[in-house]
Amino acid sequence: MRIEVKDLKYVYSPKSPFEKVALDGISFTVNSGDTLGIVGSTGSGKSTLCRHLNALVKLQSGEITVGDIRLNSKRVDLKQLRKNVGMLFQFPEYQLFADTVKKDVEFGPLNFGFSQAEAEEAAKRALELVGLDFDEVASKSPFELSGGQMRRVAIAGVLASRPSVLVLDEPTAGLDPVGKREILELVTALKSGVTDTVIIISHNMDEIAEFCNRVIVLDDGKLIADTTPDELFNRSDIVDRTELDYPHTVKIKRLLAAKGVDLDTPALNAKELTSAILRRVKG
Amino acid sequence: MKDISLGQFYPADSFTHKMDPRAKLVLVIAFIVMAFLAKNFLSYFAVLICVVSATLVSRIPIMKVLKSIKAIIFILVFTGILNLLFYNGETVLWQWWRIKISVEGIIFSVKMVLRLVLLVMGTTLLTYTTTPTAITDGMESLMKPLKYIKVPVHDIAVIMSIALRFIPIISEEVDKIMMAQKARGAAFDNGGLLKRAKALLPVLIPLFVSAFRRAEELALALDARCYNATPNRTRYKVMKFTWRDLVGLLGTAAFIVLVVALNNNFWGAYASPASVWWLFSV
Ligand SMILES: Nc1ncnc2c1ncn2[C@@H]1O[C@H](COP(=O)(O)OP(=O)(O)OP(=O)(O)O)[C@@H](O)[C@H]1O
Ligand SMILES: [Mg+2]
Repeated sequence: MRIEVKDLKYVYSPKSPFEKVALDGISFTVNSGDTLGIVGSTGSGKSTLCRHLNALVKLQSGEITVGDIRLNSKRVDLKQLRKNVGMLFQFPEYQLFADTVKKDVEFGPLNFGFSQAEAEEAAKRALELVGLDFDEVASKSPFELSGGQMRRVAIAGVLASRPSVLVLDEPTAGLDPVGKREILELVTALKSGVTDTVIIISHNMDEIAEFCNRVIVLDDGKLIADTTPDELFNRSDIVDRTELDYPHTVKIKRLLAAKGVDLDTPALNAKELTSAILRRVKG
Repeated sequence: MKDISLGQFYPADSFTHKMDPRAKLVLVIAFIVMAFLAKNFLSYFAVLICVVSATLVSRIPIMKVLKSIKAIIFILVFTGILNLLFYNGETVLWQWWRIKISVEGIIFSVKMVLRLVLLVMGTTLLTYTTTPTAITDGMESLMKPLKYIKVPVHDIAVIMSIALRFIPIISEEVDKIMMAQKARGAAFDNGGLLKRAKALLPVLIPLFVSAFRRAEELALALDARCYNATPNRTRYKVMKFTWRDLVGLLGTAAFIVLVVALNNNFWGAYASPASVWWLFSV
């Protein structure tokens, strides 16, 4: 689903001593099929930007179009919009509430007008997607699960409504390395189904490099780059200015370059890097 | 959101902001006494001057202070009307059954409303110029004498400041959880009362869960840092009584004297008040 953001500006507590310009003149487009990474240092406005995409904060100035819903128009169909754009918050496990896992995952679908049977089916599929055994966890209380399992349940709760766009706010923060990979691989796998567009906020450049085909960089509320991961990590001015750091693979590539070994292809994940080195060694 | 985290605190660099919270607490109490001492319109006027000048010294926009009155508008109207209709005055203007409007009633209810307005203006000035933490610290210090009758003053103060500290955290959390549930299609603002109350469950449950988790973590953290191991803790921010506080106290004392003097018509210094004076000195 295509998303267009034009000249978005957002101010917290306007006209008070606490006034804070969180977003300033942001414009970008996300095309169907994109996996967009949003990066930037703490407080640069990433979460605020994402909350605009399903109208959780009121649009102050600018234009946003999601699919064919215009957020500026007087009557926005919030239900439809929020069904289309699934949003996973930072530390989503703290938003679980129902007495069983099944009920919690069904909450979204039922709100969006699924019938009870449909919701149950959706919950079952979503839980299995995130790697949990439905029969085992369905009747458990979400509060007796481990942190990682709770995170999965929360993700299932978003996936169950089958959104076309999935927005993930630091989905892997606080998970173990295997859990991190699993979640991102799951998201990538989803893209062959209903969910065709994914937006990921992350502070982990390895994840951005490996999973995103596009990336935007925010700095103090301003959009300072809209590019591909490969290009971004070639531009040391931006990376240094925003204190982003490089993915490990790019670091190795740069170290090699400093020693006079130039790799001519992008190296955004371990596979690309090793094959580039091998080609260099053999050729 | 951020405004909640400091209560009503309005940051500014002013005389009043720099005053010792203890002095401000004492001044507020003195002010309340002053407002209750005032008897006639002249002395009410003096109290008004006192609040307005304190506001000016604090560099708080006067509109902001007036806004705080909006919060009690219902109480104002209610007391005003009640006093107007049921005051047992002599000069009756209109009467029906138990309801009686008299000149004295009108004057009394105007005074009543005026007093409430002044009280609110004066006390909000304290919360506008003093952070909640400073207020609790000041209270703790003022209540110190109670230690001798075995009141756990310090613990009470810690409980209060923890509670204050948690209000913004919890309100932020409410915001976040509500957003998360809205993103899953929850609607909080339609349907009847019962439906709305039910819709809040997905917010309240995670809120309580996290409040308990936080409380537990905080208790552990306090223990880990040996809270209460030493009886006499020192503080990072030491409160100091300065010339500002002296000026504030003297100024307020002067106003109290003025109010008392006006109440008594300066003890007859003006033997035959002109008619205009009479109007104000009822
Ligand atoms: N509810 C709020 N009230 C006032 N200011 C806020 C609020 N939420 C965020 N801000 C401010 O807006 C700015 C952007 O915040 P935002 O949460 O969007 O940053 P972020 O890029 O998501 O940061 P992080 O990487 O830490 O999650 C910050 O400076 C923050 O202090
Ligand atoms: Mg954020």
